[in-house]
Amino acid sequence: MTVLGEYALWIALPISLWGAVLGFAGGATRRGEMVLSSERSVFVVFALLCVASAGIIASFLGDHFEYWYVANYSNRDLATFFKVSGLWAGQRGSLVFWALLLALFSSVTVLLNSRRNREFMPYVSGVFLTILAFFLVVVLFAANPFERLPFAPADGLGMNPQLQTYWMTIHPPTLYLGFTAFSVPFAFAVAALLSGRLDGHWLVTTRRWTLASWFFLANGIIFGMHWAYEELGWGGYWFWDPVENASLLPWLTATAYLHSVMIQENRGMLKMWNMSLVVLTFLLTIFATFLTRSGLIESVHSFVQNKEIGFIFLTFMGGVTAVCTGLIIWRRGSLQSENHIQSFLSREAAFLGNNLILLGAAFAVLWGTLFPLITEGVTGQQIAVGPPFFNQVNIPIGLVLLALTGIGPVIAWRKASRRNLQKNFTLPVVVGAGAVTGLLVAGGRDVYALLTFGISAFVLTIIVREFWKGTQARSRTSREGLPSAFVRLVTQNRRRWGGYIVHVGVVLVFAAFAGQSFDVEVQHSLAPGESATVRSPFGHTYTLTHQGLSSYDAQNMFKVVAALSLSRDGRDVGVLTSEKRYYTTAQQPTTEVGIRSSVFEDLYLILAVVEDIEGVARNDPAAQRATFRILINPLVAWIWYGGLVLTVGALIAIWPEARRARRAEAVPEEGAVREALQAAD
Amino acid sequence: MKKRARFLIGVAVVAVAVGYLMWTGARETMVYYLTPGELMAKVSTDPTFRDMGVKVGARVVPGSLVADTKNLHYRFEVMDIETGTTRFPVSYEGALPDTFTENGDVVVEGRIREDGVFVAMSVLTKCGSRYEAAPEEFAR
Repeated sequence: MTVLGEYALWIALPISLWGAVLGFAGGATRRGEMVLSSERSVFVVFALLCVASAGIIASFLGDHFEYWYVANYSNRDLATFFKVSGLWAGQRGSLVFWALLLALFSSVTVLLNSRRNREFMPYVSGVFLTILAFFLVVVLFAANPFERLPFAPADGLGMNPQLQTYWMTIHPPTLYLGFTAFSVPFAFAVAALLSGRLDGHWLVTTRRWTLASWFFLANGIIFGMHWAYEELGWGGYWFWDPVENASLLPWLTATAYLHSVMIQENRGMLKMWNMSLVVLTFLLTIFATFLTRSGLIESVHSFVQNKEIGFIFLTFMGGVTAVCTGLIIWRRGSLQSENHIQSFLSREAAFLGNNLILLGAAFAVLWGTLFPLITEGVTGQQIAVGPPFFNQVNIPIGLVLLALTGIGPVIAWRKASRRNLQKNFTLPVVVGAGAVTGLLVAGGRDVYALLTFGISAFVLTIIVREFWKGTQARSRTSREGLPSAFVRLVTQNRRRWGGYIVHVGVVLVFAAFAGQSFDVEVQHSLAPGESATVRSPFGHTYTLTHQGLSSYDAQNMFKVVAALSLSRDGRDVGVLTSEKRYYTTAQQPTTEVGIRSSVFEDLYLILAVVEDIEGVARNDPAAQRATFRILINPLVAWIWYGGLVLTVGALIAIWPEARRARRAEAVPEEGAVREALQAAD
Repeated sequence: MKKRARFLIGVAVVAVAVGYLMWTGARETMVYYLTPGELMAKVSTDPTFRDMGVKVGARVVPGSLVADTKNLHYRFEVMDIETGTTRFPVSYEGALPDTFTENGDVVVEGRIREDGVFVAMSVLTKCGSRYEAAPEEFAR
């Protein structure tokens, strides 16, 4: 099976190259048989990548340690579940996995569109096969998962313990789904440029793909936060680490694109801008894959980096940039704006502001991530910026964005009248100001936190009122009860109302971020029977009493477990444990934190230091002292709630409409008129 | 044309605002990333450099760790990763990361005192591409 997988990769490369050439040539010469052959190549490459992936999984399940990749990421004792996830646990397998997902999406796209979008499809399959060929080159020549060792070790090195969790098995695939799904809008954008059909058609065709990509990216990022929070054990969920930043970048630009595309659909503006955003986002998905899997940034000082991979990736990204820039300049005549912005107080301006700010944030994050490389190039000296830089830049940016999530949906197109502004914003501003005042009275002093909660209240008021007004109007005109009017309202314009629900999710997540300003942390060294007390910002007092350490052998590891009984405001609420795990395959221990999560605050327990591990292993009663870090993280759970709300909203927006509605949405002008009327009333 | 000018003004305002945030942010938070040798060279030519917060990527000298686990006070020596020279002691209060090992690579952030002791505010362990095994690790 594994050998078959390796052959499959070698066969897939020439097929995708040939298919790509046929696609572009068939599009230019309009030769049907070439196009058909190119489209079939997509299916064949997908089938071959399935075989290759199955081969990798088989090599893990069969403990074939003669393969370098298996020997480095697995061992005999590893649970079957994690052996399967070996496909994406390391660089080599995950590049194959990336290609597999892309081939899957390519095949689905070809199946769905080969009738409907004849003029685009040759180029679309050409673009897909080009990207696939690129990944196959990387895999075959710089990171081959089927590379053999000169000998077959008796056992492998095992998987990094921190990857052996549930979150880590779903976090990378989700992100990769997001990355690869964005290739679809990119392929259509290039096809539109090549074919010259630059009206709104390609936008409408790829709308759901863009949303789906955005949806997976958002969830992938949130899963990553969850993993960091539960597994890395330092109490937070985001550290502005280069790898984290890499996943955030395409999400920021994809968010910008999701919004600016609405201006093009409704007002025929920003065509060149949208084209550039699609290309930029695609490049950033490739860049993210590259950064995550090459160790470029962290490795600068001392670590082995894979030079060939860097070279191949940079060449590809340079090539894509050059070709796409050339195409956009070539077609600039058809990318002219049909309208102009008439006023700063208009929905166009609000959306454009949102775009500029998102791009500014992306630029700042990219700059900060690459800062050590840039300064080394310029001054020969590495200078790093840490999390404070990213926070200082992105918090103000984030607050403006948050305000725009409320303003954008209700401000009028073209030019907002004074009446429109007064009518829509008086109540929300009052509620927001009220929230700030209330918090000030309650003793809140952190400016950013106050602003976040104030703006959140402002945005929520706007969104709730929109839902209420829409439902009420519908129930009046169609004589329905409020619940059914609400459901009908949402299902009739899923993208709009789904979008508003996403905004609610974003507000919740921002509020959770602001909760960090109330974090509490204490550190105590405790012998059994001793307790530590910690007071939360919500006024609760937690008392933790050390019950002692126990140790035992488990599959793959030796564990030391600390149990602390916990009381909240004097009432017993149970036991919280935190562990040190000594994996047989890793030299260093890992910490499993104990988390007691509630709606408003998490109590987060870290077993920081066990003084005498050998003593604990011997069950020596004198060796029971340990040091704990105890944190109270307010509102963390709201990130996960916000993520759920966002998921619901995005799914509502993505869900296919009934067939009749779909025909109607192909005519964007009609939508524009309707929305303009709605906004003006 | 007037419309276009207005649009450009809008772009400029956002660009300037983001640029300003980045400039001040970078100025206030950037730290030099040095090797022990580079740090020593800087300090000997410019003594005021002691006041700068720096990050030093170094290797922990085997056998140098002195741990007071009750008060969480640690002292260890570090050296240049490549050459193994230029040693100096590091003092740190707080829990060391799980991945800290003697002879392992660390990034210490803090200041070097007059007496030559580096007072670290944070100690991070370096693990290149965090979850990848380096090829030579297998050879060992």
